[in-house]
Amino acid sequence: MAGAHRNMTRGYADELRLFGTPLARFGLVAMIAVFLLLPTILQDDFWLSVLIYVGITAIGALGLNLLTGYCGQISLGHAFFIGAGAYVTARIGGDLGLPLPVWLLAAGVVGAVLGGLIGPFALRLRGHYLAIVTLGLIFIGEHLWRNLTPITGGNSGTSVNAQPAIGPIDFGGLTLLGESYSRNQGWFWLVWALVALVALLAKNLVRTRPGRALQAVRDRDQAAEVIGVRAGRYKIGAFMLSSAIASVAGALFGSYQQFVSPDEWNLLLSIQYIAIVIVGGLGTIFGSVLGAIFVGALPALIDRYSDAIPGVRTSVGGEGFVSVFALNQALFGLLIVLFLVLEPRGLAGIWLRIKAYFKAWPFSY
Amino acid sequence: MVRTKRWKITTALAATALLAAACGGAGEEGGSGGGQAGEPGTTAGFDGTTIKLGVLSPLSGPIAVIGQPLTAGNKVWFDHLNSQGGVAGKYKVELVQEDTLYKPDVTVQQYNKTKGDVVAFTQILGTAPTLAVLPLLESDKMIAAPASLDAIWVREDNLLPIGAPYQIQSINAMEHYLNEGGGSPDSKICTMVQDDVYGEAGQQGIEFAAQEYGFTVANTQRFKVGTENYAGQIGALAGAGCEMVFLTATPTDAGKIWGTAAQAQFAPRWYGQSPSFVGALAKSAVAPYMQQYVTIVAEGTEWGDESVPGMKDMIDRVEQYAPEQQPDYYFAFGYNQARAMTALLEKAVERGDLSRDGLLQASQELGTVSFDGLTGDYEYGPADTRNPPRSTTLYSVDPGKPFGLATLKYDFSSEAAGKFEFKKSDT
Amino acid sequence: MTTFLQNCFAGLSLGSTYALVALGFVVIYKSTGVINFAQGGLLALGAYLGYTFSNNLAVAFAVAVLLCCVSAALVGATFERIVLRRMVGQPPFAVIMITIGLLFVLEPLITAIWGFEHKQVNNPWNIRTVEAFGLVFGVRDLWTIGLTAAVVLAFFLFFRFSSLGLAMRVTAFDPEAALAQGISARRVYAVSWAIAAALAALAGILMAAGPGGLTPSIGFIALAAFPAMILGGMDSPAGAVLGGLIIGLAEALTRGYQDRLFSWAGDNVSVIVPYLLMIVILLIRPYGLLGTREVRRI
Repeated sequence: MAGAHRNMTRGYADELRLFGTPLARFGLVAMIAVFLLLPTILQDDFWLSVLIYVGITAIGALGLNLLTGYCGQISLGHAFFIGAGAYVTARIGGDLGLPLPVWLLAAGVVGAVLGGLIGPFALRLRGHYLAIVTLGLIFIGEHLWRNLTPITGGNSGTSVNAQPAIGPIDFGGLTLLGESYSRNQGWFWLVWALVALVALLAKNLVRTRPGRALQAVRDRDQAAEVIGVRAGRYKIGAFMLSSAIASVAGALFGSYQQFVSPDEWNLLLSIQYIAIVIVGGLGTIFGSVLGAIFVGALPALIDRYSDAIPGVRTSVGGEGFVSVFALNQALFGLLIVLFLVLEPRGLAGIWLRIKAYFKAWPFSY
Repeated sequence: MVRTKRWKITTALAATALLAAACGGAGEEGGSGGGQAGEPGTTAGFDGTTIKLGVLSPLSGPIAVIGQPLTAGNKVWFDHLNSQGGVAGKYKVELVQEDTLYKPDVTVQQYNKTKGDVVAFTQILGTAPTLAVLPLLESDKMIAAPASLDAIWVREDNLLPIGAPYQIQSINAMEHYLNEGGGSPDSKICTMVQDDVYGEAGQQGIEFAAQEYGFTVANTQRFKVGTENYAGQIGALAGAGCEMVFLTATPTDAGKIWGTAAQAQFAPRWYGQSPSFVGALAKSAVAPYMQQYVTIVAEGTEWGDESVPGMKDMIDRVEQYAPEQQPDYYFAFGYNQARAMTALLEKAVERGDLSRDGLLQASQELGTVSFDGLTGDYEYGPADTRNPPRSTTLYSVDPGKPFGLATLKYDFSSEAAGKFEFKKSDT
Repeated sequence: MTTFLQNCFAGLSLGSTYALVALGFVVIYKSTGVINFAQGGLLALGAYLGYTFSNNLAVAFAVAVLLCCVSAALVGATFERIVLRRMVGQPPFAVIMITIGLLFVLEPLITAIWGFEHKQVNNPWNIRTVEAFGLVFGVRDLWTIGLTAAVVLAFFLFFRFSSLGLAMRVTAFDPEAALAQGISARRVYAVSWAIAAALAALAGILMAAGPGGLTPSIGFIALAAFPAMILGGMDSPAGAVLGGLIIGLAEALTRGYQDRLFSWAGDNVSVIVPYLLMIVILLIRPYGLLGTREVRRI
């Protein structure tokens, strides 16, 4: 046994192990350590709230990546499902006062049902046509949010009082071993634990039979049909799953922000999600999380240190010609362009290259 | 072997968990409070000499046309105050400005970023961003001044609103139309409002006035912000025979709406909610139509009116601290907002406590604050007993004036506006 | 009846604007297989350039319109040359995302140069009207309809009779065969981006010359032109024009009869009518009204 090389695999089971190699195991321990320790070291509410939003975005991006990266269906309607999740939470978690698992689950179920409604279109339309139909979903959704006043509060928006609590454990104000933790600390743990859970579920899905079926559908749906994959069923399934995950992300978003309004679920949000899965790397689980960190944290970094960047105007009447937001948006755009021109496989592609380099060490080239 | 490895991992995790617990939480934070009357003690945002105030405003994006002048208004007042020595003559004020893009989630992030460095927020712009931050304000015991004339702020302990809310503007406009504008309860009275919170506020005022004065709203057009072609809405209003239309919009849409109305030769009596107007409209091709048919419902007085003492002071200070500032309604709003915040800070200094608790207490004890005619006097105090101004000034469009507006009727109040009850938001 | 005709006229004018933008989408899609999300940004850029020519450089409005179309065309072609040419052969996802990237760069660029304020373009139309047959016609709207008709005609003549037009059609049909015939695909790609940008700029300046004036959010109209393109069929120029007009008419008529017929559907249902119409038509015809059915091989 001792003689086997660290990268050696002795069959499919070994090949499919998630944390098989020492490197991967070390990575796992490091990630868990960061997860547990980060909020206690970084107590700053700004950075914690940025990371919480990043985590919520990562969950949503995982959902979209299953659909777009693994099943090859472009959806511009992701923001619609996120909004739906937030409203479900406002009513079920807030008004009925049910606990965290219930409202998360309810949001997921509603998301899945709504996603199922897209099914007929997914079966009939392809590629760009489907993309633009899902774009329509955003606008139709906005119309619904503005007019279904009892559920959504109409134009005025609604407060979301869903509590992040399971029985006695309230993530909004944790008390462990005599230490009390702030709302943001609790939320960080809750959100990132869910990121890990969803990522694990997604990873397990894509390395098993349904996952391979999805990829077959993505690569060529008719060929997949020929080898016995029911492409239609998998397409609808992918839509339902991705919408359910998006709604869970929306539920967390609403509950964390405590207030949502119809202006938030717009095309820009959908585009941001697409940017995340592309920048992160299509068809990679880790890439969705990396992409969310990149797209979510970069603007915050620029914002925080904008004083030091020449030419940026941080205050009214101050020096500079471009506002922080404008700079952010331009940089975001430029980065997308540069990324795709230089590294079309996204952040995950870079990561794989680095990993391959070290894996083959000392014979890397 | 596998077992030992697993064991190692578990140990490592347990160790980190212990470490996490040892490093401690951040659950109990907050200003260290000040002593009893006397010098206020240092606290978050106050180092003993300088008071820092937060500004959460859309400094870029489509709403920046409002956020920028409003923040400039905040700044000119505090620049002036600092030149006089500062709050209570000795504490200088410094603004910490953050861009919110008018988005609730960005506002929450920026709030979290700034809250540890400031004593209070002298501006949070917009209804939705303010609602998003409100629960945090309550749990942090922070005071903020919303830059929005919504009526729901009046009863919130953590907010320090100024000015007569939109609802009051609408009610007073109806009073004017029915008594002096040639209308009667039998006139065809219509509304055109944008489909968001701001539009709802204007509409709510009109509906209240409808009950008080006994008229019915003949037609209501709700439009989406940024609509390209208003021919349909204008056609519907014309078809309904509207003699008076109350418009709640922002300038870009208002310009298109009045332009379309002029093209369609639809000429009712228009009353426009204050944010519908911007100086550029008075120089556009629509100006002749607006001069003839449009009345703008706002407060204060026209830009540069030296007969009102507050306006004279403001113009002097603009010339001194922001000479390139164009005449702007929102600038004056920001300026007044800063005055209200200054009154609160003076009170807190008098009580010798600039901590969050101290400010909340001070706001409970704050009496009436006067704005020298720039906006109505506001009776502060405990949120339940606050009484906002109920007065409105009407303007006609006049391209010859600095901001394109000439006073039509200065600072009046209606009985119906006095009856309007302010309620806490239940959303 | 007057109301109906008046609403139809408003719909035609709106539809013409949609048609111009949708035509731009189709030109790029047909030759390169990419949906150009930056069309709205190019539209806004064109309108602002027109503003600069007309107001700051004080050239005649007609010249300003021409100049803004030409300069927008240059921007479009340059972008194609510098960025998109490197992406030939990459998956369409990636290329679409790049056009979104361009949109994100254009928006702050525009606001950094021109600011967020409301601008009025010096122009001879604005809110002027003419009356005929008991109807009121906005001069700007008449020009929009007229210019769109002229541009569409020129567009079809160009594709039908010019050698470059032929080259573009061939490249769209079969890029490899076109290359084998000595047609420069590069030139075709650059020209299609230039045409699309010029069409967007024209739509932009026509909109800015109306009563509403010019604000950075002018580019949003491109989103409503998506259904126009899809409705007509993504690879059909004629479909784009048809789709634009249908959507414009449908939107204006729903708007005009909102109170009488559509009050049950909530306020502003007209805003989503383009999308609803698109969805219904796609369910019946998955490749739009005039689009080509995709041939699929296993």
